[in-house]
Amino acid sequence: MVEQKLIREDELSLVYGETYRPGSFKEQLKEMFTPKYLAFLLKPGAEDEELNRRDFEMNKFKTKRSLIRRLNSPLTILGGLIVFIICSWAVFPHWLSFIPFKDVAISILPGTNRPPSFEHPLGTAAFGRDVLGRLIWGARRSITLSLASIVVSLVGGVIFGTIAAYKGGWIDNLIMRIADIVSSIPGLILLVIIVSVMGYDLQNILLALGLLGIPGYARLMRSAAISQRAMTYVESAKVSGASEWRIMFRHILPNSMSLILVALSFDIGTAILGLASLAFLGFSQTDAVEWGFDVNANKSALINAPWAAIWPGIGIVITVMGFMLLGDGLRDALDPRSKV
Amino acid sequence: MSLLKYTVRRLLMTIPILFGVIFITFILSHMMPGNPFLKPGQFIKGNPEYVRALLEKHGLNDPIIVQFLKYLKNMLQGDWGESLIVSKGIPVWDLIKVKVPVTLEVGIYALIISSILGIRTGVYSAVHRNKPGDTIIRTVALLGVAMPVFWLGILMQYFLSIKLGLFPTIRISTIGYDDPIRITSFRLIDSLLTGRFDLAIDTAWHLVLPVFALSFLQVAGLTRYSRSSMLEILELDYVRSARAKGCKERDVINKHALKNALIPIVTIIGLRFGGVIGGAILTETTFNLKGMGMLFVDAVNWRDYFVINGLVFITTFVFIVMVVFVDILYAVIDPRIRY
Repeated sequence: MVEQKLIREDELSLVYGETYRPGSFKEQLKEMFTPKYLAFLLKPGAEDEELNRRDFEMNKFKTKRSLIRRLNSPLTILGGLIVFIICSWAVFPHWLSFIPFKDVAISILPGTNRPPSFEHPLGTAAFGRDVLGRLIWGARRSITLSLASIVVSLVGGVIFGTIAAYKGGWIDNLIMRIADIVSSIPGLILLVIIVSVMGYDLQNILLALGLLGIPGYARLMRSAAISQRAMTYVESAKVSGASEWRIMFRHILPNSMSLILVALSFDIGTAILGLASLAFLGFSQTDAVEWGFDVNANKSALINAPWAAIWPGIGIVITVMGFMLLGDGLRDALDPRSKV
Repeated sequence: MSLLKYTVRRLLMTIPILFGVIFITFILSHMMPGNPFLKPGQFIKGNPEYVRALLEKHGLNDPIIVQFLKYLKNMLQGDWGESLIVSKGIPVWDLIKVKVPVTLEVGIYALIISSILGIRTGVYSAVHRNKPGDTIIRTVALLGVAMPVFWLGILMQYFLSIKLGLFPTIRISTIGYDDPIRITSFRLIDSLLTGRFDLAIDTAWHLVLPVFALSFLQVAGLTRYSRSSMLEILELDYVRSARAKGCKERDVINKHALKNALIPIVTIIGLRFGGVIGGAILTETTFNLKGMGMLFVDAVNWRDYFVINGLVFITTFVFIVMVVFVDILYAVIDPRIRY
């Protein structure tokens, strides 16, 4: 609707040439959402002379649709679809999984390591645990932990990065040296150490994973914010009497966020991988319903019940791939010049 | 001269970072619940008197700052402490010397394979952009990036070892085979040098799966990097002029474009080399190789403070030195960069 308001009627006749007579608002709306136009929007490389011309001119007025168009590659849609499915597993496992949580989590049921059957579509693992049920319920932990830890790293990184970039001097030095120290220890090693200090509870793993992500985001944010600091609008904000914090978080921050948003989706995938690795190494609650934990617990029964160890891994791969596809698409759309 | 000055300055700058790393790991490792002689959740609880006596003996009852200063002083003198429980009484440095070759053997073979393969596939994919070959390579590369190494290992163990019986599942050598005489400490190279071809074949056989698992993931990452780096270069003007003056297409790609595209790729390879020890944890646990990664997991599980500290220090040290080395390498590869 916003786009409609942006174009004045006299401009429209300029845009579409003499033949175009803009009708009432309702008619315009009807024209915008014809099947033909929608097909043109969604089909990559669609050619239609009139619509092409209109598209070209409209692009001068609106960027929103062109973003959708740029996002509209088959791989990005696939990624979005995967993320949607996995997230709905995580949110509504009660409805999507036909097995209640208590049966999946800690029960000891008859039928250890049974092959796939009608009752258990993907077979059962040790203690008669249903593999499909644990696959669906396991999405909950992976998604919760990775999203929440990314939020922790994002908030921390953005705050520290902006402060470091704006203040400069010894504050910048201090923050960046601490970031250097933390990021020079390999991530998994530090994660293992911190998690064994804090304990294997959900909130502790979340916090550890989040804290480890802060240096990366801080560095990214700092480099983006430093280039913004020299801009004229910062100076004019200063002149008009805005406080330091206001300049930092109301002026500089929103203008340097796009780089970070691009990194976000990709890092969710990395966080899920880190989480799975941690659980695989055995640093996880023994009653957790988690993919990495399942792989670890069932790897010793590989000869008898390969499905029990292999399916949770497929869950990890597909989820991470979904987020990475989405991240790739976002990067291509928002930041076409960046590297990998 | 300025390069030398730059190198010295960079190396001096790593000292505070290393100091911070030692401090953080020391504090964190001592903050873990329990102690080397009494792990939380351990079934058999030792005699509390005895545990206290052991702690007293190793000086673990002192205030943490005192302990840290003592540890730092010993470390500067080359004494990294000794293992308290995992390999009782063996100095950490000796332990590392025994374990490092296993880790490096898998890591370096994988790195060499992945560097050669990753750059080639990346270049192929960039040159044949949006063609079927490119699409296949990109999909496989994405799969490799998204795949946890332990799962790939388990998959291969199941299909290649258990189902087809092609490769052994775990360990670096068959049980009962003796070790070759140590020359380079690399098992495969040593057995070739000393003429024990039976050992060499056995070791190579055992190394196939771990090296493949590790290098597949690295190839995936490297392909993505070199593809995008190459794509950027291929659009530059001098590539067009090279084509216009009639260079062979192969020379344009390999001599003009690739040389410039290599600069960011060298960074990645250098950092990977620095991360070999840190990245070994998952492969070693999956394939039960007794290297640094397994030692680290054991040490954390048993709260073996000095082993944890020693391992983290050596890992970080190698990593930081590689970062500096890569920076210097830049100037060598690219004469436009001056320090």
